[in-house]
Amino acid sequence: MLFGALDISSSGLVAQRQRLTAIAGNIANIETLVNAEGEYAPYRRRIPVFTTGDPSTGSDQGVHLSNILIDEGPLQMRYEPDSPWANDQGYVGYPDISLVIEQMNAMEASRAYEANITVAEATKSMYSIALEILT
Amino acid sequence: MIDGLDNSGSLPVMQRVVQFAARRHSIIADNVANVSTPGFRPVDVSVEDFEAALGDAIQQRRDSGHQQFGSLDVSSTTSIQFDQDAVHLEPQPIGDNILFQDGNDRSLERLMQDLVENFLTYRTAVELMNNQFDMLDVAIRERI
Repeated sequence: MLFGALDISSSGLVAQRQRLTAIAGNIANIETLVNAEGEYAPYRRRIPVFTTGDPSTGSDQGVHLSNILIDEGPLQMRYEPDSPWANDQGYVGYPDISLVIEQMNAMEASRAYEANITVAEATKSMYSIALEILT
Repeated sequence: MIDGLDNSGSLPVMQRVVQFAARRHSIIADNVANVSTPGFRPVDVSVEDFEAALGDAIQQRRDSGHQQFGSLDVSSTTSIQFDQDAVHLEPQPIGDNILFQDGNDRSLERLMQDLVENFLTYRTAVELMNNQFDMLDVAIRERI
């Protein structure tokens, strides 16, 4: 019963933290053009996707990060004719990451994280109130 | 269970309230955890239904001639099942809205209000239970 509530809030915390990690990765790689092997591979935006249910507890309540989609949309073209990765017209494709969108998602994730903390605090208080019966 | 000692007065009522509030707390926690899940519909059970079922049971006990003594027979509703010593809830989707395509209205304010209300209900019920137990304690020891 009540013990399950803490699992649910924890699953929410984990999911929102993972989402924030994905957002941090997107912002960090906003100008990334080459991969670890030195080949031209502009960073693609990662999009975390949530699904209900918590596999770690086997419960159908809770939430988990079920998939990370990769944004295959068009790149942001910048005119840099001197760049070794420029195309025939002299344009280089950069990752199409909008700082505004990432910032907004990060805010939403941290608010949702706080909301889960609030619920977990309430659950903890309920445990200790229940313990008062014994005293 | 000792008849007349722990099933009389408001104790069985408070027991049901605590069971219900604890279960509903999990539902609210689930709604908050899924606040950014696409396609998730927030769920809840009707507090009014629970209050009505409990009210009916109290009235029934009163009418049966036992006044405020004896155990409480709460009849289950479609979404709330009352077992001998547990309450099971079958929450239904709530909040039909047009703001988001997936039907999740993402109303964190409403969820927090539900959380606080439910929490205070739980706390009140436990406090009242404690008062009853304290009175029982005084009666057992025969001194104040």
